[in-house]
Amino acid sequence: MLLHLFRLTLLLICVYTVRHYWFTLNRLFGRQRHPYIDLENAAWPAVTVLIAAHNEEAVISDILRALLEVDYPRERLTIIPVNDRSTDRTREIIDAFVVQHPFVEPFHRTGGKPGKAAALKDAMERVTSEIVLIFDADYIPGKALIRQLVAPFFDPEIGAVMGRVVPLNVGKKSLTRLLDLERSGGYQVDQQARMNLHLVPQYGGTVAGVRKSALDEIGGWNEDALAEDTDLTYRLLLAGWKTAYENRAECYEEVPERWPVRVRQIKRWAKGHNQAMARYLFGLAKCSGLSKLERIDGTLLLGVYLMGPVLLLGWLLAVVLFYNGAQIGGGLTVLALGAFTTLGNFAAFFEIAAAARLDGSRQRIRLLPLTLFGFTVSLISVSQAAWQQVQESIFGARQLVWHKTERSRTAPVLEDRLPVVLEESV
Amino acid sequence: MSSWAPLALTTLTAVLLALPVTPALYELWKRADATPLPTSRHDGRITNFAETFRSRLQPLLPQLERCRNQRDLLRTCIEGMEVLLVGRDGFDFDPSLTKGVAAVMLSEAPMIPAERLVEADVFTNCGLSLGERAALRAAWCGGDAALGKDSAVLRWLHADGSIFLSPGSSAYGRLSALHSIQLAPGCSFERMSAPQIVTVDRDQADGLLAARDAREACSSSDVSAMVTTSQPRLRIQGNFSLAPGETLSANVIATGHVHFGSGSRLLGSAKSYKDTVVDEAACVHGSIVSGGTIHLGQGCFAAGPLLAEEDVVIARGSRVGEPDALTTISSLGIQIAPGCQVHGTVWARVRGIVEA
Repeated sequence: MLLHLFRLTLLLICVYTVRHYWFTLNRLFGRQRHPYIDLENAAWPAVTVLIAAHNEEAVISDILRALLEVDYPRERLTIIPVNDRSTDRTREIIDAFVVQHPFVEPFHRTGGKPGKAAALKDAMERVTSEIVLIFDADYIPGKALIRQLVAPFFDPEIGAVMGRVVPLNVGKKSLTRLLDLERSGGYQVDQQARMNLHLVPQYGGTVAGVRKSALDEIGGWNEDALAEDTDLTYRLLLAGWKTAYENRAECYEEVPERWPVRVRQIKRWAKGHNQAMARYLFGLAKCSGLSKLERIDGTLLLGVYLMGPVLLLGWLLAVVLFYNGAQIGGGLTVLALGAFTTLGNFAAFFEIAAAARLDGSRQRIRLLPLTLFGFTVSLISVSQAAWQQVQESIFGARQLVWHKTERSRTAPVLEDRLPVVLEESV
Repeated sequence: MSSWAPLALTTLTAVLLALPVTPALYELWKRADATPLPTSRHDGRITNFAETFRSRLQPLLPQLERCRNQRDLLRTCIEGMEVLLVGRDGFDFDPSLTKGVAAVMLSEAPMIPAERLVEADVFTNCGLSLGERAALRAAWCGGDAALGKDSAVLRWLHADGSIFLSPGSSAYGRLSALHSIQLAPGCSFERMSAPQIVTVDRDQADGLLAARDAREACSSSDVSAMVTTSQPRLRIQGNFSLAPGETLSANVIATGHVHFGSGSRLLGSAKSYKDTVVDEAACVHGSIVSGGTIHLGQGCFAAGPLLAEEDVVIARGSRVGEPDALTTISSLGIQIAPGCQVHGTVWARVRGIVEA
């Protein structure tokens, strides 16, 4: 029994290993798809930008200022800061912007269900445009970002779009440097490879957009979702809408600077993902409108946070079986074990190394061995999250609260501190 | 000797363990690459190079004016860039005079002689002409620009007026004009942008007439507003075909080919996983997105954008976009027949050609 379980864990790990290598090799050597990147002139549709804000006095002015400078027809742009029950100066700062810029239409939410999804759901009642873009308050969009995020919606099949997130506070701590590498791997390789291969790019909830009619069709934001982004990705997918990833639609964000904050963040993501898996795995298997590859990738994406506990279980079983003198045997099992103990563990790091290369950054790749430490922390955190979910499913869940990631920025940043690329390659 | 062995072994083990992480620890200590990754913060406009070039040379305009008054040549430097100011007529871009200069500023409309290669970027507030088989690296001109037969622009060319490309001329990189770009048969291009892009026959008037007919057949001012709002969605597993002469109001998505019969009309956008074929005189009042090639037949109209992952082929008399609703065509290769009009941007990632 234990041996079969061990073989199953090995199989799962091998599947994810192959997936990592497939994505990485595709990014390094495959044909790259950026079908919407050249859209310069078009009848740009009306767009509403929602900024999810909960006690964001340190950062809200940065994003508002950046949005005022974007290159998008002003008469077609509405900005709605969704101030959800803030108790700091967020409301005051937003209102100061509104006085100068009437097209900023604040939504000060004072009650209702907690959580980003619930706040967005309430804010959607004020949205009249077909395209809605969503940003968290700590993001700093570039000048062309709105156009880049809107461009995919000229494709009638696109229900949601996701841009690339780039950490701004990289140099602050060792943690931020490790997260910078991790984000590179996730976006530069993972997301873009899924776009290249017509798989399932993930809507990420910020630096993102959604088609209102698609959202209405699937019943709007799901207030009970722990990760409204994953939830939306799968509901759209099951309803026949695609999510597009725009690798060049880059936007700065602030990553956690303290380990406890990071642990809380990844636990929240893990729980949200696992919840989505429980809800949509069966529907995904049955959905007829998807290609085989989309179904496989969608399933693997749903299970990505379960691989933490699976890996821990695999290690535990390996030790137990070894001391019990179990015969692992079989060429395939030996091969799988080899992948598990050598290549399998490094596939994700290969992905990060490839991402750093694609980003053209030379020195930060030296930090790669240290990502093993971040990987270990994540492994334990997502395993804890999974265990907590098991407990909650037995003993009942606590009330849903908005676990906002703690901001490290204490004051608005100066625009001229941001690195700028003015030249394009011809 | 033996008392040192455990210490030596421990040290050696520690060194071997530390070796792989030494570069990481060194990077943490030295912080050689700890700044945020640069993000693209320009607005992505096709005219960016031209505008940057013009703004860099703008301070030299008074000096150029003095040169013009003295009918003189002057070498000067701005922001580390060597510039030759030309204040007299008939400058022929003699390589001995332009050697080592990054830019040439001219007060009069220059004519680049046949078969001459100009490696410097050119700035003129007037028009610009390229002789036959001449080649130019880049230019900003305040008037019209005319490219002679078999001539070439190697990086970019911007004209505040119009650009005319003679048969066989090639525009690598970017072409932009505030008024229009006219391309003769056999021209090649990569990226162009203008309110009006026209491919002309050897008999120019016929081509323009054909394009105008297409507009009259299909254009409707109230239709473009319809496609910006949500349309019903029609998802088809496999191929989709709209019968000749029929009208459909929907966004069409097909996992196979999409075909619009002659004279048919789609009030919405179309997406095909494979090729999209629009037959003669059909109209698509929205975008066309294709995983394969988009074929626009004779006298068709598409509001755009047209985005193809392979090629776009446009037959005679077709029109894409409208003068007051500019759009974009983007694909790997683009082939346009004479007598077509595009309003906006044409972006061929590999190569675009006008049929000979």
